[in-house]
Amino acid sequence: MTTPDSLDSLGTPKAEFLAMVRQALGREDIPPAELYPRLTDTVAELEDQATQIRQRLEESLPALLDKLADMAAKGGWNVHRATGTEDAVGYIESIVRDSGTANVVRSAQDVFDQVPVDSALTNLGAKVTVVLRDDETPREVLREEIRQSGVGITGADYALAGTGSLIILPRKGLSRLVSLVPPVHIALVRAQDLLETMDDLFLLRRLEYHQRGGEMGSYLNFITGPSRTADIEMTIVEGVHGPKEVHMVILG
Amino acid sequence: MPEIKTQDFSAASIAAINDPKLRRALDRVASGFEVARLDRVAEATPEVWEDWRQQARDIKEHTIEHLDYYLDLLYTNVTAAGGHLHFAKDADQANEIVAHIAQTRGVKVATKSKSMVSEELGLNPVLEAVGVEVWETDLGEYIIQLAEETPSHLVAPALHKSKEDVAELFSEKLGIPYDEDIYHMAATAREVLRDKFMEADLGISGANFIVAETGTLVIITNEGNGRLSTSAPRIHIGITGMEKVIPSMQDLSIFLRLLPQSATGQRITSYVSMITGPRRSDDEDGPEEFHLVLVDNGRSNMLADPALREALYCIRCGACLNICPIYARVGGHAYGWVYPGPIGAVVTPMLVGLKRAKELPQASSLCGACREVCPIKIDIPRMLLDLRKKTAESPDKNLRSAPRIERVLASLYVRLMSGPKLLGMAIRFGRLLQKTERIIPFFSPMTKDGKWIRKAPLPLLSRWTRSRDLPTLPKQTFHDIWNKELSRDDS
Amino acid sequence: MTQNANISADLYVTCVIDQLYPEVGVSVVKVLRRLGVTVGFPKEQTCCGQPVYNSGFSKDARTLAKRVLQQFRDSEYVVVPSGSCAATLRVFYLELFAEDPDLLVQAKALSAKTYEFSEFLVNVLKVEDASACGATHQGTVTYHPSCHLMRELGVKSEPKKLLSTVPGLEEKELAGAEICCGFGGTFSVKFPHISEGMVADKIANVQASGADTLVACDMSCLMNMAGALNRQGSDIKVRHLAQILDSESD
Repeated sequence: MTTPDSLDSLGTPKAEFLAMVRQALGREDIPPAELYPRLTDTVAELEDQATQIRQRLEESLPALLDKLADMAAKGGWNVHRATGTEDAVGYIESIVRDSGTANVVRSAQDVFDQVPVDSALTNLGAKVTVVLRDDETPREVLREEIRQSGVGITGADYALAGTGSLIILPRKGLSRLVSLVPPVHIALVRAQDLLETMDDLFLLRRLEYHQRGGEMGSYLNFITGPSRTADIEMTIVEGVHGPKEVHMVILG
Repeated sequence: MPEIKTQDFSAASIAAINDPKLRRALDRVASGFEVARLDRVAEATPEVWEDWRQQARDIKEHTIEHLDYYLDLLYTNVTAAGGHLHFAKDADQANEIVAHIAQTRGVKVATKSKSMVSEELGLNPVLEAVGVEVWETDLGEYIIQLAEETPSHLVAPALHKSKEDVAELFSEKLGIPYDEDIYHMAATAREVLRDKFMEADLGISGANFIVAETGTLVIITNEGNGRLSTSAPRIHIGITGMEKVIPSMQDLSIFLRLLPQSATGQRITSYVSMITGPRRSDDEDGPEEFHLVLVDNGRSNMLADPALREALYCIRCGACLNICPIYARVGGHAYGWVYPGPIGAVVTPMLVGLKRAKELPQASSLCGACREVCPIKIDIPRMLLDLRKKTAESPDKNLRSAPRIERVLASLYVRLMSGPKLLGMAIRFGRLLQKTERIIPFFSPMTKDGKWIRKAPLPLLSRWTRSRDLPTLPKQTFHDIWNKELSRDDS
Repeated sequence: MTQNANISADLYVTCVIDQLYPEVGVSVVKVLRRLGVTVGFPKEQTCCGQPVYNSGFSKDARTLAKRVLQQFRDSEYVVVPSGSCAATLRVFYLELFAEDPDLLVQAKALSAKTYEFSEFLVNVLKVEDASACGATHQGTVTYHPSCHLMRELGVKSEPKKLLSTVPGLEEKELAGAEICCGFGGTFSVKFPHISEGMVADKIANVQASGADTLVACDMSCLMNMAGALNRQGSDIKVRHLAQILDSESD
């Protein structure tokens, strides 16, 4: 065990542990790097594949939107295909009204420039807090707002048609908790967010990771439906620790 | 390490079989998860499903064969993302690491999302001993934490409990009125744990997969407690076995299909959380520190044994439990330790010692249903046979523990079968005994037509005749008939 | 029938049939002869070693397996009226002799020519229709696919194909057909309380099928189920597939 302040190498030193593993495998040394195709993908090759993905997506967009709506519904989302931004705002209004909450939190994503929900909700009598830290609003205050709120609204980073999943990449302006703590979550999905398969998603993530020299952010979440459990007598209950009700508003 | 009761398998399994409440609970599992899994297989089509299984197995096989390489790569990338990777050779060291982090960081409250490995380590009491309040947040784990029990299934830890059990438990431990309504009970858990999530200094999770390429920890969950435990506190510690690593993020596609679909029949879980290091400086929230503790604790014994190495491919989906006729009758607790069911019958002996857990590989009819449903095509029956072989005849005295009588019987059997003459004599002796029965009818009760024995007085056969009739020896063997009538071809 | 006149097959009759159900062996021989096969029977045969192999006594199992390798060395085909014994000869012997290059060669040779009875009929003799065996059956039958037959040998459709073409036979579906009957060799006496429960479930399904006869390709499974059925006082008949095909045995 190393000195108390050093957290770098608690436990068994790496060299020793790996030597033990090698011994178990009956080998003397670590094998060379070129042994797994995916790990030797270059940025250029990944970019190429990304271009092909984008092309495929463009060509099949209407069908993909239908598929997203279908799979998301199967996954437990309440799906609303908005006929335009006004319709989207109207739908969000109705959800907030039905929830009876006076507190709404949302992320600071550019989709809200396109779909202006704040004034509509304020007119309903709800307070809308944009979860974006600055000097005046420290984390603790924002956390409390999130805890008190009845509805959390986010955009999407991606939406996977194949699984009906919303993909969120928490970062500045996009809190992990907005889509998790309030009992109702509304997600705005635009056509440009669409991907088809998990392979598409992971390709793009890997591309970003390698393009940025080994960085892609701290977190990624797939959300497919409400929070659930079947731990008591295999009976499905929704809304355990996460949202009970999730709405996907698809624009396009 | 949690208490090892593997040596009580026989007694525990008998008690389990005689427990009607457990029967009802286990019936629910069999009809639930497996039926849903079959829907997914049909949806994919059997051909595509087979292809996925083979792909998954190829990835796991490759990774385990090169485990040192991938652990090294993982270390580099977890560190580059701002996290810390700690290697723990055994349970004590793993617990020390977690306790050390908790103490030096002033942790008072910890929330845990499901981690079978943390059960294996017996982590909770260690943390409690250093003044940390530990809250299990997965509903099933929360229930068994309150009940002070161990999980009875890999995926649904409290499935042995009826709703009445849970209502009573909540009423007793939480001081609330007795309420059997399942929705109300889930809501109670939500309420109780809400504050804890936000209050916690430390969140502890397991890991379903760890991606070497990017240093990413992946957990698949349904309740939201996994997300909360890894997002709200200032420290996140992920604990898992060293075999959970996979090479590339691209590989996740196949596993994120196979795991939920094999485990519960869901197409995908409500949440898939992918964590790469601590929060970045301008993230809205997230832990400031990320630690990954990778545990050996006996896995290297499986790694070192080519016959058992594939046990490390397991992704802990529980499909083998759900199909196993033995598990269906005895439930998880009878296995006496953390990992039950077919995979448990391999992993548990390898982690706690084969001598102590020698009954587990024996308690199987080797029907092979587990191998058929395993998404990674793990050949569990082969491994059970290998463990039986070690118990019977390993040169290592720590492994060879078959009772003397068994070895004697095996030798006797071989002698008896070494030639038709000796066997013929034994058969004739048997027929003589049967004839005796007809004259002195107390010896072994037969049916009137002489075709069945109701009660065999011999040690092993009596176990058969407890519930089944035994056929009597016919007047001739096939050998006799062949010699007399069949050897000429009259057709 | 001369279509298979060139085929000679040696019978590995299995110790369960030899000592407890010889009439099944007789039916096997008769059916094969009716199909034109020249049937041999290496008389020194006893046990394939499966019980000791499954108990982990591989040295002891090898002693018995060597006898089988030797006795069937010159056979053109080896026909086994048991899924588990056929699996032992075809699959498990390869593992038993994995460390012994000379015997492994012999084991591979044996493996290549070993067939379970129903798969021999369908896949080697190319029997399309069970009436070619002279089979007829009046009544209803339910079929239990035994575990090793299904999962180690991959024999699933062959028994069904044969049953479905027996004139007069009506097949009734067995619920939970693919679930193990609970025999598992020594498992049945090492863990009787578990085994009992499994066979109780199985025969409940057999009884629920409404069939008057239970059929399988393994006498060990059938012995297990028959023993339980009989203890319950059931009238359901229990037959090996060969007996159904050899209608004269009825």
